[in-house]
Amino acid sequence: MSAQTSAPRARGVITSGTYLTAGVLVALAAIFSFLSSQMYAGTLSDGAYTAAYWYGTLLQVLLASVVITVALKIGLNQRVGVQWLLVGSGVASYALGDIVWTVLDLHMGLDPYPSVADVFYVLQYGFFVAALVLAVRSYKDLTPVRTPIMIAALVGLVLTAAVLMFLLVPYIFPAGTAELGFWGLVVSTFYPLGDVLLIFSPALALSLVIRQLGAGRLGWPWWIVVVGAFVFALTDTAYSYADWAGSGLTATLEMGWVVANLLFAIAALVARDAYRVR
Amino acid sequence: MATLRERVIAALTPYVGATVADTCVRGTALSIGKSADELNDSDLPALESNVRRLLSPVAPSTVIDDLLAQIERGN
Repeated sequence: MSAQTSAPRARGVITSGTYLTAGVLVALAAIFSFLSSQMYAGTLSDGAYTAAYWYGTLLQVLLASVVITVALKIGLNQRVGVQWLLVGSGVASYALGDIVWTVLDLHMGLDPYPSVADVFYVLQYGFFVAALVLAVRSYKDLTPVRTPIMIAALVGLVLTAAVLMFLLVPYIFPAGTAELGFWGLVVSTFYPLGDVLLIFSPALALSLVIRQLGAGRLGWPWWIVVVGAFVFALTDTAYSYADWAGSGLTATLEMGWVVANLLFAIAALVARDAYRVR
Repeated sequence: MATLRERVIAALTPYVGATVADTCVRGTALSIGKSADELNDSDLPALESNVRRLLSPVAPSTVIDDLLAQIERGN
């Protein structure tokens, strides 16, 4: 293959502005990782704890605004713009859920799980699955998508069976409404199933579709979205188990959601460069 | 001077990879009853129309316009 027809190298496509912005976002997430570990270790004063709590919540708002800004710059009259707006809306829903969670937990002293925050967290699944399905469909005239969809559906069914066998049937269902409450049972059932069927499986289908692009730059941002979706699904499922086990949130779990949304934000920045006219 | 097939593949490969770029050209050629190697500049309108249709769900129109301009210019 001649140099003229070779796929691009990241260095020639990704701008210094993207590296810088992504670096800042990673640094902000790393700061939260440190703060979160101190929060869970109980070493912070009340004021510092409140500030660290809000820092993490507002970080999610920042990540959502990055994705939505990129989507608006691409343009909502463009089909890819709509796809990225859906990703951004998913992250924004998560951020709204976090704001509600923070107010309930930090300022009202209420148990935030389950709560109104879950309305936004559940909404996030709708946005993500819509974004992922649209992204897969958008390649249907360029590459075969039926086989990736069938493989992802099969894997999704196997994982659903695993979630049922190893999480829901032995732990969540027996706890029932007596232990979890009605809404607790609903969301504790929905999240792990949603993670497999609405996040993991569509993300797997997308990864199998875009791998056919090889090093083509249109696939780059979606690869990062796929990794973010996998991190999100894994973190969420782990939280469902942790909640049942009584260990609740940990600093590691908190970082799982931050990393997932951080990856979505970086994906949007890479998309901005991948779609740039040279 | 590169053939139309080579020009299209050269323009599309950085965005969709070599395999999909080649498939794109072959598909267009088939749709007008030719092989990919038989494509020439008189097929540009059909090819451009097909490239626009295939790429519009996955890339902004500015990128597609630039790609089509590259193909027409031959660089």
